[in-house]
Amino acid sequence: METKKVKRYNMGYLLAYIFVPAIVTGVCFFVAYATSAIGPAAVILIMGPSTLSVLWWIFAGRVIFKAKKKKLERELDAQGFVRNHTFNSTGCMVVVDVVNGSIALQFFWNPSESYVLPAARISKTWVNDGRGGKGFMEGSSRVSFFLVVDGVKIRVDTFTSNKRWRMDSEYILTGISKADMMVGVLEEARKKGA
Amino acid sequence: MGMFRKMRAAFHDDWCSKCLSEMDKTGKRLFMLPMTVGHYVSHSDADYYRRNLQPVSKKGEIPPGVYACGIISYRCPECGYRRTKLSVFLPVRDEEKYEDAICFEQGELDDLL
Repeated sequence: METKKVKRYNMGYLLAYIFVPAIVTGVCFFVAYATSAIGPAAVILIMGPSTLSVLWWIFAGRVIFKAKKKKLERELDAQGFVRNHTFNSTGCMVVVDVVNGSIALQFFWNPSESYVLPAARISKTWVNDGRGGKGFMEGSSRVSFFLVVDGVKIRVDTFTSNKRWRMDSEYILTGISKADMMVGVLEEARKKGA
Repeated sequence: MGMFRKMRAAFHDDWCSKCLSEMDKTGKRLFMLPMTVGHYVSHSDADYYRRNLQPVSKKGEIPPGVYACGIISYRCPECGYRRTKLSVFLPVRDEEKYEDAICFEQGELDDLL
């Protein structure tokens, strides 16, 4: 079991993810300008890094996160962690072992660290249905559940949208149901782990 | 008028599809379907429901994120035609999200009621 404090972000990774491709592209642009490159050399120096940077920003995070999730699942199985519930969100994966009262966490912006810890370290859980607006405008575009581990608040989205949906829409109801279920499972694990 | 009644009967679960008269409700029961939200798979086989449905007395007994199943049986007082309607839904706080509705006409679910 982990004793280290949960960190949702690895600031070094986050900054490198954003700025390293931009810096490499900038350097290549400067080299092309400084050497007055023409023809294929200019195409490689200008188009190559900028295309690779865009591809990196779009896909690399998801690929790294997916690989880390698979690795964590393999490690959990090897440790005898009973994966009763696994919830995959865009920013975080939560795995709950209700039998042994443990949870495992993997964060998108901190892929180098995986956390397996006793569920007793969760101090609070709740659901936010994202309800907003009044009258016919009432609705939500985001449903999440929260857990506080070692004082760190972790938000896990069960539904997100770029538009507001009525509270009785099937998307919102599904999101609320998933969030309610996960909070119930986390509370059950917490009681087991206490 | 006959055609109009047939069209209406198609949209009314409690209307007899043979003689188009209103049927009597003969039984109603609530069950828990052990399937969690996001993992629903539709089944039309009555055996599946006979094996897996667990009776509950009220929706509050069903844990969050687990599907519920309501079974209502009808009998036509005119021609004796019987139909059992099975509705699968997800109870979410005070709301219900309907997923599926299947009708059985050979008494396949009688032993559950």
